[in-house]
Amino acid sequence: MAGLILRQIAKTFGETRVLRGISLDIADGEFVSLVGPSGCGKSTLLRIIAGLEAQSSGEVLIGGEDVTGVRASDRNLSMVFQSYALYPHLTVGENIAVPLRMRQLTAAQRLPVIGSLMPGARARGREIAGAVSEAARTLDIDGLLERKPGQLSGGQRQRVALGRALVREPAAFLLDEPLSNLDAKLRVHTRAEIAELHRQLRATFVYVTHDQVEAMTMSDRIAVMMGGEILQCAAPGVVYDDPEDLRVAEFIGSPKINLLPADVGDGGRLSVMGHPLDLAVPSGARGVRIGLRPEALVVADAGAPLVGRVVHFENLGSDLFAQVAVPGLEDRVVLRASPRMRSSLRLDATVALSFDPAAALVFDGAGKRLRDLRRPAANRHREAVL
Amino acid sequence: MTREWWKHLVLILGALIVIAPFYTMVSYSFKSPGEIDRGEGGFFGRQELMVDEKCVKLRDPNRDDIAAASARFPGMDDNAIRKALASEAEADCSMRPAVYNYSQAFTQAPLLRYLANGVIVTLSIFALQVVVALPAAYALAKLRFWGREAVFGLVLFCLLIPVHAVALPLYIGLAKLGLTNTYAALVVPWTISVFGIFLMRQFFLTVPDDLIDAGRMDGMSEFAIVWRIMLPTAIPALLAFAIFSVVAHWNDYFWPRIVVTGNRDLFTPPLGLREFKGGADGSMFGPMMASATVIVTPLIVAFLLAQRRFIEGITLSGMK
Amino acid sequence: MTATDTILSPQQLSAADPARRQRRTAWMLTAPALALMVLILLAPVAIAAVLSFTNYSLGNFGFDWVGVENYDKLLTRSTYAKMFTATFTYVLTVTPISVGLGLGAALLINSLTRLRDLYKTIYFLPVMATLIAMSIAWEFMLHPTIGVVNQTLAKGCGTWVETLWPWLAMHCAEGMPLWLGNRRYAIWVVCFVGIWQGFGFNMVLYLAGLTSVHRELYHAAEIDGARSGWERFRLVTWPALGPTTVFVVTISSIRSFQVFDTIEAFYPIGAGPGKSAYVMMFAIFEKGVEQNLIGIGSAITMMFLGFVLMITLIQRWLVERKVHYG
Repeated sequence: MAGLILRQIAKTFGETRVLRGISLDIADGEFVSLVGPSGCGKSTLLRIIAGLEAQSSGEVLIGGEDVTGVRASDRNLSMVFQSYALYPHLTVGENIAVPLRMRQLTAAQRLPVIGSLMPGARARGREIAGAVSEAARTLDIDGLLERKPGQLSGGQRQRVALGRALVREPAAFLLDEPLSNLDAKLRVHTRAEIAELHRQLRATFVYVTHDQVEAMTMSDRIAVMMGGEILQCAAPGVVYDDPEDLRVAEFIGSPKINLLPADVGDGGRLSVMGHPLDLAVPSGARGVRIGLRPEALVVADAGAPLVGRVVHFENLGSDLFAQVAVPGLEDRVVLRASPRMRSSLRLDATVALSFDPAAALVFDGAGKRLRDLRRPAANRHREAVL
Repeated sequence: MTREWWKHLVLILGALIVIAPFYTMVSYSFKSPGEIDRGEGGFFGRQELMVDEKCVKLRDPNRDDIAAASARFPGMDDNAIRKALASEAEADCSMRPAVYNYSQAFTQAPLLRYLANGVIVTLSIFALQVVVALPAAYALAKLRFWGREAVFGLVLFCLLIPVHAVALPLYIGLAKLGLTNTYAALVVPWTISVFGIFLMRQFFLTVPDDLIDAGRMDGMSEFAIVWRIMLPTAIPALLAFAIFSVVAHWNDYFWPRIVVTGNRDLFTPPLGLREFKGGADGSMFGPMMASATVIVTPLIVAFLLAQRRFIEGITLSGMK
Repeated sequence: MTATDTILSPQQLSAADPARRQRRTAWMLTAPALALMVLILLAPVAIAAVLSFTNYSLGNFGFDWVGVENYDKLLTRSTYAKMFTATFTYVLTVTPISVGLGLGAALLINSLTRLRDLYKTIYFLPVMATLIAMSIAWEFMLHPTIGVVNQTLAKGCGTWVETLWPWLAMHCAEGMPLWLGNRRYAIWVVCFVGIWQGFGFNMVLYLAGLTSVHRELYHAAEIDGARSGWERFRLVTWPALGPTTVFVVTISSIRSFQVFDTIEAFYPIGAGPGKSAYVMMFAIFEKGVEQNLIGIGSAITMMFLGFVLMITLIQRWLVERKVHYG
């Protein structure tokens, strides 16, 4: 097992720049998710780590060793593919054994029929069989070893693919959207299992997904990728609560973060919908937007900054999301409330919404997070008066 | 590209061998007998004027010709007129080898008639195959009836029997009915395409039942459903099948060889070519290759224009 | 069956009647096909089976039962021994080589980044072309004196090629081979034309088979440590092409059994020097149609059908066995 280091990885396909200089350190035993919308380059990055594709520039280090130019089969990595990529003509047991047979048996020993007569083949064969049944037991598929992949359900195939990855001890596990072909229920279940497997193996995992929930629930760190760059790489909580970039804030979180355009007044004081806030930004900021998570909004009395009409409810049982149309805002504002508040939030009712300025995430016109926020002096005065 | 050069080398060598007979065929169809004999003249030959001896011989002037021509050559004696006429004939009968070969191809044998026969036979075979196979395929795919499994089993069994293999008993039957040397003999054995039934059935299985039920709700009879709903949806599959069928029967030589004997009016192109070959001496190699070119060209041109469809059609049998 | 009927019993209309009507139309729709299947395919097989035990000739009123005499002739006379030799030589040569070349060409073409379609088109041309016309073209190319093959070989005479290739040296001394007239070469030349004509078809089927191989499987194989191209071929490509191979081998061998055009084009009478290219289809034609020996022709027909049936049954058995592929 080993850590991975990526240094300034760039990749261009003809004219298109798919990756624009990615640097990332993944510690030994860490679970890092690469998450982003399709086409952001996350799969390409994984395939470059695997050695299935060559980077245009930059280097990949596995366990401190530069593996640029080393072919995939020599990098000692395991990979689980989106389509599982099981060999259809081999049984489950044979599929899991392939990585061991390819590495531990000589070409002669692999020959059909004659191979088993070669010196040393028997003993190796037994070792491999032992490793296969152990991997199968770990994944609870020991009953399926004689079946062909065509006879398995999607979930079972997924486990076989995992089994093939963990039958040997690779430097790291690479997983390319391994859950995307499963149904919703199985996905939640397998999610937990993979996370447990990671804890049990204490191995390095690099996990590619477009599903932020998967990334949030399983990883030690999430690398949010967009347009061939890593926008932010941090622990799930940090990415959610403290995004560096507007695009990260928008991508992570469901329902999506509410974005309100803010005006910058005297001394950098922000106001929303003509309603001054207790927030000021360094002067000169333009096109400022305020991001508010649905749970940051609270129903308030009249006089709150946002007033609108409730147009739609989504009751998830544990949570209640209300969509509020605020005149003057293009997008509806989404508010999370507890189902108990259902009675006070009637459809078509007019509600006033306010929020704690401390919970507001402020972004500049380029989408960068503004952290240097102050409370305006005038405001403090008014607060004192109130 | 750098690592691919050896692959290209191998493939180009293969391509040369594949193309060689086509090259020879077309090249010979342009050349004069002398050039063919000596193996010279490149691809097109030198296209020097050549004299068609047969044509000259045909116009060998007799006494009447000389008498008739005497007005044109005043003051000449008969011998001089004969010479003048002969040289006239020679001038009229000389032409470029390419023109000679192709005109011979069409005049030595009724090549146009053969081509027309080819078109008639292949098109009637295809039309009848569709008329027979389509309703059966529909019934096997979409109707529930007692005996359906048995009928389909029979279809699968008949797939095992190549028509060429039962040519002899078919020939006996047609001979007994006095049908040899007729268009019917050329067409009838091919009217049933078990493969067509099988293929169309597989295709119809993928057509949603709702479409048929909608047709029934609109008051269509089952026959109307076959021709007004199933036929249009099956156009892509039918097109592929058409190519499969037309190519096979345009090129077929064995069956016409058996049932058409002597009657040139019924010759299909391959039979015509064989006839040509049977009577050909060295001087006719050019015209023979010209008619071979004429026979091969239609399908090749169609193939080059619609390669994907052709490959799909010819390899249809691979989609089982 | 009248309008009042349907009005009176709507339940009947919805349940029983449509089913019965459907059954009737179904039989009407299948009847022509069924009749033709019986008349054109099944009855002839039966007729051939019966006639193969007789000495029937067209134009005769009656015939005599001769028992297994016809089959006995097939198995004992030297002509028919030649027939089986020629047929099996052809089938066992053309099938593996045209399948192998088809696979090789498909793999090569599939691995290219450019000119793929060009090669594909060229290699497919012979499949489309009228075989008898192309056979005549080959005949010209193999002509002992004016043919391009011998002319090309003759260019090697007196050069270093001759020293490396004893066969050529021999022919430089003794004169170039009569490809079609020489008993040693005749059947192989016929085989060659068969391979030339057929391998493009196999190539296209293999190319179609290759597109269905999932690309991720190759990546998985690489990750799993299949380092050489051969290992990946053994682990991924070859098993994935299994069904294609079964099919391609079947159809190639059935087509090879049916070879006729080439032989008639090369040898209008006699099927080659010393009957060395006397294949079954030619024998059926010669005995049954030309010589009006229907009994023996029918016996050959039955044997022929037996071989084709056997090949197809083997194919179906293989397909059944591998039903869980993919």
